[in-house]
Amino acid sequence: MAPLEPSLASNLFSIGAERLALLGKHHKALMQGYLDGHIDETAFSEGALKKLIAARILWRPDEQQPLALRPLVSELIASMVADENRRQINADVAEKLEQIRNRVQAYRDAQFKGDYSVAELQLQRLTEHVHDLSGQFEEAIDSLWHRLNSDFGFVSSLDDKIRENERAQKQLRRLLDGLDLLDFNELIELSEGNNHLRKLLVSQLQNQLSSHHSSLLEVQKRLVQLLAKFRQQQARSMLIANMAAFLRQHPKYQPADYPNRSELPTLFNQAAAIRPQAAIALDKASERAVLAELVRALPRPSSIELPEQHSASFAELMVDEEIAARQQALKTDVENFYLRVIDQGGKLSALEYLAQQKLDWDSEIWLYQILAEYQALPLEEKRMFGILRDEAPASSVNQLLLIRDIQIALKAA
Amino acid sequence: MLQHGPLLERLLAGDFICQISDEDGYRHLSDEQTQQEINHYLRPLNRRLVSNDDGSVFYLGYHELSKEAREHLSSQFALTVQSLLPLLEWLQLVQETLGRDSALTAGDTIKLQEFVLRTEDNQSLRQRLNALASDRFFNSQSEQLDSQVKLIFRRLKEHGYLLQPHSERQYYIVTGKIDHLLDVIRFIRDEEQLPVDDTPSQEALL
Repeated sequence: MAPLEPSLASNLFSIGAERLALLGKHHKALMQGYLDGHIDETAFSEGALKKLIAARILWRPDEQQPLALRPLVSELIASMVADENRRQINADVAEKLEQIRNRVQAYRDAQFKGDYSVAELQLQRLTEHVHDLSGQFEEAIDSLWHRLNSDFGFVSSLDDKIRENERAQKQLRRLLDGLDLLDFNELIELSEGNNHLRKLLVSQLQNQLSSHHSSLLEVQKRLVQLLAKFRQQQARSMLIANMAAFLRQHPKYQPADYPNRSELPTLFNQAAAIRPQAAIALDKASERAVLAELVRALPRPSSIELPEQHSASFAELMVDEEIAARQQALKTDVENFYLRVIDQGGKLSALEYLAQQKLDWDSEIWLYQILAEYQALPLEEKRMFGILRDEAPASSVNQLLLIRDIQIALKAA
Repeated sequence: MLQHGPLLERLLAGDFICQISDEDGYRHLSDEQTQQEINHYLRPLNRRLVSNDDGSVFYLGYHELSKEAREHLSSQFALTVQSLLPLLEWLQLVQETLGRDSALTAGDTIKLQEFVLRTEDNQSLRQRLNALASDRFFNSQSEQLDSQVKLIFRRLKEHGYLLQPHSERQYYIVTGKIDHLLDVIRFIRDEEQLPVDDTPSQEALL
């Protein structure tokens, strides 16, 4: 190829610059066109549309179709914004190799003729081709990593992710096949006796391509792992859905009696719980100090004897002995409940306890008495207990909170 | 053995140990040497360490299957079978409500509030949750969505399927016990040759 005439070159410059400016001038409408898949023609003046079509930015794929971005422009945008749904991977190496061979030949011919300015130009074009080839892999690898690291998040369903992963693996295989086309012996031969060529084709390109090769293998490994994970997730979802459907259709379904098989499947071998308990032992003299410390830490009953108060007493109204006895029984049960909380050390639900102990108090009275007992405790002892009310509004329109259950918990001293 | 005291206590209490529920404990249990030591220690208690197929959860089983052991296992199996459908329905409900593209797995986080919000405005999810909450496995008496959800999550926590890292904060992490549940389902499916697929059909692949 002959070097460009200066006038042609300057012409090329001005046309290129003008057309690139067109992209900037209409950036919003063009980007919208990228997203919609077609251009809203009303957003442009007629002159602007003509210019954009002449600049090969827009085209009409078909008479009936609205104007759209040319594929190359879409591709450029997809690569710039790393839009993995639209980004293209170019795995064609054969064509690039052919171009490199031709350029090397043209460069050698020019040198042979002693036409150094042409040789210089050819060398420059050759450098561009070599960078293109390497850049093509770089772009592809970047796109693959990007998809991997986002877990293929640019598609929503698991099925789509699996399809996208498989597509990526095919692209990767094409890229690896492309790398295989590169024969370094041939490149060494091509660059024989020329330092420039050797540097460009052998040391530089070889280095880059071998690092691309290992990147691609790493991506491949990760893609395969991720696909296995996707498949596993898919299998899980299907197992859950199908087993649930089966059980719904067969409500009386009963599996075989696995626990009584002679060969018990380990899955079903879940032993009953053992809870280790311990109590204070006095047989080790060395631990007495620790025990004494524990005893000292016990909350002490208040030593101040309060004189008996005879305030307005409602106990006196309880003349009926039967009622008084029931009241006393309720008090005792509530006290036992508090003792259980202390013994157990954790949280205890009042209603669960009531049901467990099969006490026949009305649940409302029971809760009321537990609250009353709590309120009656001296302040110091009150602090020992945490009280949790399980309450809910009476209805969606009435904000009155009704207590449904109470949990009493022993707080750490 | 002294250093594994708390771990042994959890195991003896019937806990499932996985990477989520007890990371350190799980790491110890994955070591063969430790497994042997623990089994040796557990021998007089008629217990041994058991794990699922892929070793993602550990728990205790019986060493020798005495009559009492069989009785316990039978009643436990009955409970497991009873809990299968409610648990599967819960898994499906969570997946659909939160718009997830895959089933819950160990380590997934569920925010209770988000779950409630999304259920509130959707009549069909609301109905399914209602039915699920009143299943005897969860046994909710309440009509209120909020307390139904809380109860469901509390029960699942008690059963070891969920972990609540902060008792004050309403978010839960799925534990490895869910893997055990799926292993059980897969086992029953294979053993009884139930018509329950877990691989997409050829058409779906194309």
